[in-house]
Amino acid sequence: MNLTKRLQTLAHKSGLKELPEQVRSRVERGLEQRIKLAITGLSRSGKTVFISTLAHHLLHADQGTSLPFFTPSAEGRILSVRDLSTEAETPFPLQSTLAGLQATPPHWPVSTEQLSEVRLAVKYRRPPGLGRALGEHSTLYIDLIDYPGEWLLDLPLLNLSFEQWCQQQQTLFADAPRVQVAEEFLELQRSIDWITPSSDEEQARLSRLFRDLLQQLREPPHSLSLMQPGRLLMPGDLDGSPLLYLFPMLVPLPENAEQAAPDSLYARLKDAFERYKDEVIRPFYENHFRHFDRQIVLVDCLKTLNQGEACFNDMQQALNGLLHSFQYGRNSLLRRLFRPRINRVLFAATKADHVTANQHHNLDRFLELMIQDARREMRFDGVSTSCMALASVRSTEAVQAKLDGQVLSCLRGYRKESDEEVALFPGEIPTELPRPEDWNDARFRFIDFAPRALPRTGLKPEHHIRLDQALEYLTGDLLK
Amino acid sequence: MKPTEQEWTAPRFITPEQLDQPTSADEPYTPPQEFAPEETEPEPLAEPLVSAPARPPRRRWGRKLLGVSLALLLATVVGSELYRLLEWSFALHPLAGGLVSALLAIAGGGLALQIRRSFKGLKQLKASADLKQEAEQLATSTGQGQAARFLSRLQQHYRTHPDAEQILQQTHEVDSSYSDAEVVHFLSRHALGKQDAQARRCIQRHSVEAGMLVAVSPWASFDMLLAGWRNLRMLNEIMSIYGIAPGASAQIKLVRSVLHNIAFAGLSDLAMDAGSTLLGTSLTSGLSARAGQGLGAGLFTARTGLMAMELCRPLPAAGKKQTLMKQISGDLLKNLGKSGS
Repeated sequence: MNLTKRLQTLAHKSGLKELPEQVRSRVERGLEQRIKLAITGLSRSGKTVFISTLAHHLLHADQGTSLPFFTPSAEGRILSVRDLSTEAETPFPLQSTLAGLQATPPHWPVSTEQLSEVRLAVKYRRPPGLGRALGEHSTLYIDLIDYPGEWLLDLPLLNLSFEQWCQQQQTLFADAPRVQVAEEFLELQRSIDWITPSSDEEQARLSRLFRDLLQQLREPPHSLSLMQPGRLLMPGDLDGSPLLYLFPMLVPLPENAEQAAPDSLYARLKDAFERYKDEVIRPFYENHFRHFDRQIVLVDCLKTLNQGEACFNDMQQALNGLLHSFQYGRNSLLRRLFRPRINRVLFAATKADHVTANQHHNLDRFLELMIQDARREMRFDGVSTSCMALASVRSTEAVQAKLDGQVLSCLRGYRKESDEEVALFPGEIPTELPRPEDWNDARFRFIDFAPRALPRTGLKPEHHIRLDQALEYLTGDLLK
Repeated sequence: MKPTEQEWTAPRFITPEQLDQPTSADEPYTPPQEFAPEETEPEPLAEPLVSAPARPPRRRWGRKLLGVSLALLLATVVGSELYRLLEWSFALHPLAGGLVSALLAIAGGGLALQIRRSFKGLKQLKASADLKQEAEQLATSTGQGQAARFLSRLQQHYRTHPDAEQILQQTHEVDSSYSDAEVVHFLSRHALGKQDAQARRCIQRHSVEAGMLVAVSPWASFDMLLAGWRNLRMLNEIMSIYGIAPGASAQIKLVRSVLHNIAFAGLSDLAMDAGSTLLGTSLTSGLSARAGQGLGAGLFTARTGLMAMELCRPLPAAGKKQTLMKQISGDLLKNLGKSGS
């Protein structure tokens, strides 16, 4: 008795107290009882809605009504799901997000400004078979992380030096539409003496100008995605911090760089870049982005079709670049315990409800076009991948219209901006990359719809599109 | 290829009044359209012609001729004998004649009823095979909207089933956004859930019983009869579970297809079962030879049952066969081990 007490105090002193917790989480992870699901997507690709509806449907999965393609739920093997988000450092605001979708009239959540976490514990019954030897009931913990999509694009910077980054940005800003929009800023940069001493104010002023420029490029009609550094657009808790006095040099780097004064603009930016990497990106990456087991990549293909080729190319480049920041490969048991890698990736074209059902297959194919390079590399690493068109919340209704004697499948819903009811045949999705002359307003007119109200209980398959199949693909094999 | 004027349909807004409420049975169609001959071009790849299976007509004719003449001969013999019987009974006494003719009428009526029932069963079996073929086609397609016809045919097929309400309810649950393949998967998993569970239980019970019977039966030649008897009983039950009228000719047809499938198409299954059989041998080494025979008979019954289930089910299998085989062999081993010790 005395001995255990002494051991306890000893353990407490040496910080071993947390060890059992750590060991438990490692072991659970090793036995695939705990998975971290990476929800990856650029800003406004629907991460927050996906997470909240996924959690909502899972929390009601014991009723077995809304997820017919999610085997454990359809077979009635899910006993109960508990929301453990409060254990996390920054819990995901599940209730308030859902309240927005359940309100009358319902509305989409505002864009995410902070990192937050959802933890779900799924208590399930194993199917009859060998697995039952481990006990009839088991629990799977699912961790989901929500964060501003802008931050994601910072991850590729970890592997770059300031000079390399500037060169990348210079090539980006040499092409339309960036070069036209940034004309003034480029002119300003050309007039700067980079190697003579400068001031904090100057640096801050220029970074603010660069931020305005990025904001302008992000909005329609350009709608570009590849925006670095991402914290300029979505500072989170770093608003106004000198860490964000950062922008790339869009003019050729100074040839006599070694003569630059220590407080010249060039030296300052180089320093700021390294600090940004060390103090902003690396903690974000190390704490949240290293230990993933499964990944879902959400892509808004309709935006690129609406905006044209430049937007498509930009998004393709952004996605392929950021997917390099994750580690892919098969997991051995040891590897799973200590350095898990992503071994299953689902690419999802979101907003499938914004096109008619007969276009879903084309949407899949179009998504494949966009991510084909990244996908090829993942396959090389033995990672299984899949493409799927899904909608976390259904905002339209499938209807038919007679037009010139033809029956057209259409959508009916409420406009996002004005809440007026519209019926729309949104056009067809190409399965090949359209030719330059085909990117025009007459061909694609995908509008944003307001969500239809999500019920609190009595969820049905008609409240989502393929959310169950996504869940089955990502977690189905673990619930056995 | 030179660019044609417009290869795509332009998006457009539609006033809500123009909308029709969709009905799931409504199928979208391609409107007829006329083309100038210059605009057309030859199809690049000719569709493979569906060649009619070559069959030797003469031999068939010979067999048919033989069958028809034999049937006619039999009918004449039976008819004349019956006529003589009637004549004789009427000559004996009018009352006896009345009795015999009444009996004949009842027998004739019963026979007609049986024939009608068995034809109904045959028709249902055929319909279910057709539906399954269509479902398999749909399951590999990437399109959307073709499944509506299949759905209404399936509803038609199960209109008279005792659990019709439940099955139809599931077909109404099909979501408007599902592609054809998803519709088939959905139905395959959900529409016949109750029937599948019943059929599985039935197969399991019968195989274990057949296995035990063979294991304890004292005469070796009796085994085959026993196993066959149990198998027929099981087929009947499976047919009625899936709503197929269990007439004699449907049963014969099913037995033929099952045997055919086991003999020819079932080779891969056999190879897969080899795994469980190997597992069995290590476990059965302690059992007697008779118990081993029982195990074999039970597994054969299980395979027959699964095959029959597949043939009676108008939807492609949802892939639970392997686990069921394992479960049955496990059950058998347990029971046989108990009886052996």
